Amino acid sequence: MEMNIQNVTMTYQNGKQALKNLNLDLRSPSLVGLLGPNGAGKSTLMKLLSAALLPTSGSILVNGEPLRNAEQKLKGTLGYLPQDFGLFDELTVFQFLDYMAALKGLTDAKSAVRAVIRQVNLEEKAKARIRTLSGGQRQRVGIAQALLGNPSFLILDEPTVGLDPEERIHFRNLFSQTAQNRLVLLSTHIIEDVQSVCDQIVVINHGSILFAGTPEQMIQAAQGHVGVFWEEEAFRDDSLHITARINTSQGIRCRAVAEALPAYAQPEEPSLEDAYLYLISQEVPK
Amino acid sequence: MRKIFFYEWKRLIWNKFFFGLLLVLLFYGWQVLTGRTLLGVSHTAPFSPWSFGDYVSRMLPLLWIGTLFFLTFFTSPKARRAAVLTDAAPMSPGRYALARCGAALAGCVLLVLACLAEAAVFYGWYFQWYAWQTLIFPALLTLLPPLVFALGSGWLLGRARPWLLYAWMLVPFLWNVLPLPEVFGLWNGAFFTEYPLTLDTPDPSFSVPAALLAVQALLLAAGAALLALKPRKASDAAEARERSRLIS
Repeated sequence: MEMNIQNVTMTYQNGKQALKNLNLDLRSPSLVGLLGPNGAGKSTLMKLLSAALLPTSGSILVNGEPLRNAEQKLKGTLGYLPQDFGLFDELTVFQFLDYMAALKGLTDAKSAVRAVIRQVNLEEKAKARIRTLSGGQRQRVGIAQALLGNPSFLILDEPTVGLDPEERIHFRNLFSQTAQNRLVLLSTHIIEDVQSVCDQIVVINHGSILFAGTPEQMIQAAQGHVGVFWEEEAFRDDSLHITARINTSQGIRCRAVAEALPAYAQPEEPSLEDAYLYLISQEVPK
Repeated sequence: MRKIFFYEWKRLIWNKFFFGLLLVLLFYGWQVLTGRTLLGVSHTAPFSPWSFGDYVSRMLPLLWIGTLFFLTFFTSPKARRAAVLTDAAPMSPGRYALARCGAALAGCVLLVLACLAEAAVFYGWYFQWYAWQTLIFPALLTLLPPLVFALGSGWLLGRARPWLLYAWMLVPFLWNVLPLPEVFGLWNGAFFTEYPLTLDTPDPSFSVPAALLAVQALLLAAGAALLALKPRKASDAAEARERSRLIS
């Protein structure tokens, strides 16, 4: 599976430009983490890749074929979990997934449904009506419908929202296993999720790609830009972007990213979160 | 597609609304049958096609509402939120729409059958009269064109603006209060009470003027044509939705 995004711009009718001249190549097998602040353009990109939106300009190629011509083909290989979605409350979990299996044209629907119900740990709720489910359980139904039929391209927009920490780890591992022979695009705000499972990271802000590469490369880019210091040392220093404050017996220890670290800051090994914040801070006016 | 049809049909009929509507329909139907049909219309027998036609035309507004209510299951904001998942599936939008409209039509047929069954019970109970086959034509002529039209026009309106479906529910009430030309007499039931009186025979056999038949045929054709209108590509529809959401 290969997706090529070429000079894609997306401007909504109200004039809001969500994506600006975006170029990106995605190739399986890979688990790509899509990071960026709210309103960065992540969801728009995912909608474009799932053919839910058409770009204003530029093109998206699916295995070399323009998406406009390959829409049905793409949908036949796609598992999509949007950030905001609804379910048919009148149906049971099994019935809803069976319905989605029919829409996806799966031949052995019953066993495919049973398999995804097992994967998302909803066996006990299989016969429960969707209206009786909690928010986390509904989210798991959403994940289950995306996984139905073992799609070769999975788009997951904030999949772990509403899940408890234990479930989050379970799904993190599930996505990681899934990506062994597929292309998975995972959008999230939780850096920890990305750090532990993604082999590629794309950081997007204001509709443009700030970074695309491996987590190691992203961390490397932040080398020498992360430091720690005592809070009183940095009084009114606007050049720093403080990422953490820790109360200690000697005072408040701060961790910050900056283009150039001041002399009083002690350089630290950057984490992925530091690297992400460094990238974003370079764009944000201080 | 059969499975989609089955699940959609189940969604439509296995809920409080359907049973509530069925109860209202049966209650109102019984009131009409025992209060009006029992006496016969235009000097005809209670079980004449004229009296029966009058009964079904009086049931039409409720059946129209029921048909449009079924469509709200596909156009409500909740249904539109689920559409982000269904739009991403490879089934063609046309086939999907067909399965859903088929389910709405099946729900509507169920309501019609309930009305007809009630009339059958009424005729058997009061008159031990069971020659129902003579009533099939007036029932089809009165109900089929407007209900297919309700489905076709409602499907189109609901996809454009969901609230239009609710406004469209009032249409048969307008038909009943507006002075319609004779040729539209089947729409408000006036045909069944006025036309037999013009035939100058007591208890005349059932007949329909050609102009009236043509109007009903046109209504049926218009409904079928609206149903056959190809839905926009899922992506276009989603884009339109997304745009309208952002604009609002």
